[in-house]
Amino acid sequence: MKNIDDLISTLSKDATTIKIAPHPFNVGMGWIGVSAIYLVVLWIFSDVRHDLTLKLSDPWFVAELVMLIGILISSSFSAALLIYPDLYQKKNIAFLPIVVILVFALVIFFAWLANSPPAPLPIHSVECTISITLASLLPILWTLYLMRKFASTHTRLAGGISFILVFSIGAIWIRIYEQNDSILHVIQWHYLPMLGFGIIGMWLGKTALKW
Amino acid sequence: MKQALSGDNRAYALLLGETSRLLKPFLSKRLSSGSDIDDLLQEILISVHKARHTYDGNRPYKPWVYAIAVFRLKDFLRIHYADQLHHAVELSEVEDYLLDPVTETVVSYESISGEVNKLPDKQATILRLMHHDGYTAKEIATKIGMNESAVKVAAHRAYKILKAKLVRP
Repeated sequence: MKNIDDLISTLSKDATTIKIAPHPFNVGMGWIGVSAIYLVVLWIFSDVRHDLTLKLSDPWFVAELVMLIGILISSSFSAALLIYPDLYQKKNIAFLPIVVILVFALVIFFAWLANSPPAPLPIHSVECTISITLASLLPILWTLYLMRKFASTHTRLAGGISFILVFSIGAIWIRIYEQNDSILHVIQWHYLPMLGFGIIGMWLGKTALKW
Repeated sequence: MKQALSGDNRAYALLLGETSRLLKPFLSKRLSSGSDIDDLLQEILISVHKARHTYDGNRPYKPWVYAIAVFRLKDFLRIHYADQLHHAVELSEVEDYLLDPVTETVVSYESISGEVNKLPDKQATILRLMHHDGYTAKEIATKIGMNESAVKVAAHRAYKILKAKLVRP
């Protein structure tokens, strides 16, 4: 017990005024704002698909985009909560992306059913996954750097959600940029890899967010 | 905590002291070793110190501190059990021994006859007749002219002497 008392005495001497971490909703809003700016920059460099105006009249395409934005927003807030030891005592919001991803899967399933006759597969394949990965590299490094400044007690989940967050940015970017109508292609080379990267994020989060 | 965050050392020491008193029973229920409890408690207090910027004082303190305590406890247990597994003996290493009979005694009269010979004559004779030649206590009593109880007592004393010599502490 003497050791504990000594430790308390040492720690209390170090109790200088510190800057309190911002509210998680502010952190989440910040991430959404930066993501939006990053998307605009990506589109400036890559341009958008030529038939975008026409595609925006396709309800399933719009639903897909809305759900991707939903994943981006929910995972931003979720990641912002997961970096607090107690999830800022808002556990339900922290697990919201799971629900949004399930709804997204449903939307994609119905879009696939509605895609009849199926649109032809594009010539390229893995290039999309590589492009999304490259577009997401900078945001993931930045996100992990920011997250390390906090104290997550859900390191795996925080890592996984942060990876889904940044890969959803890449997925939104490429969906607006790529001239492709094949749902099978986007499932195979956009969204399944996104989930795969989420799993890699869970694995990496354990190490990267250790404190 | 609000006072502690604004740099009040005394308030912070009080808070850590109270936190330590709060967590001690929580850890005692989950860990058996006193030194483990103290080690983990120290680790939790250091974690509380490191993460104090994530507490703004606008929400209850206990769930925040317990979240850190549970996180550190899980880490501690994971390392503890991983370490135990590291030092565990592989089943394949002992499977030869596992086949050895465990219900049969490995001590025979022949294996301890040297020690029996060092016993007093009467006790040595009784044990020899009983275990080597297969006589019963009653038959030995008739053979050497003692009563049966005296034979049993002598045999019992001989066993005690042998046990003291042969069984390692």
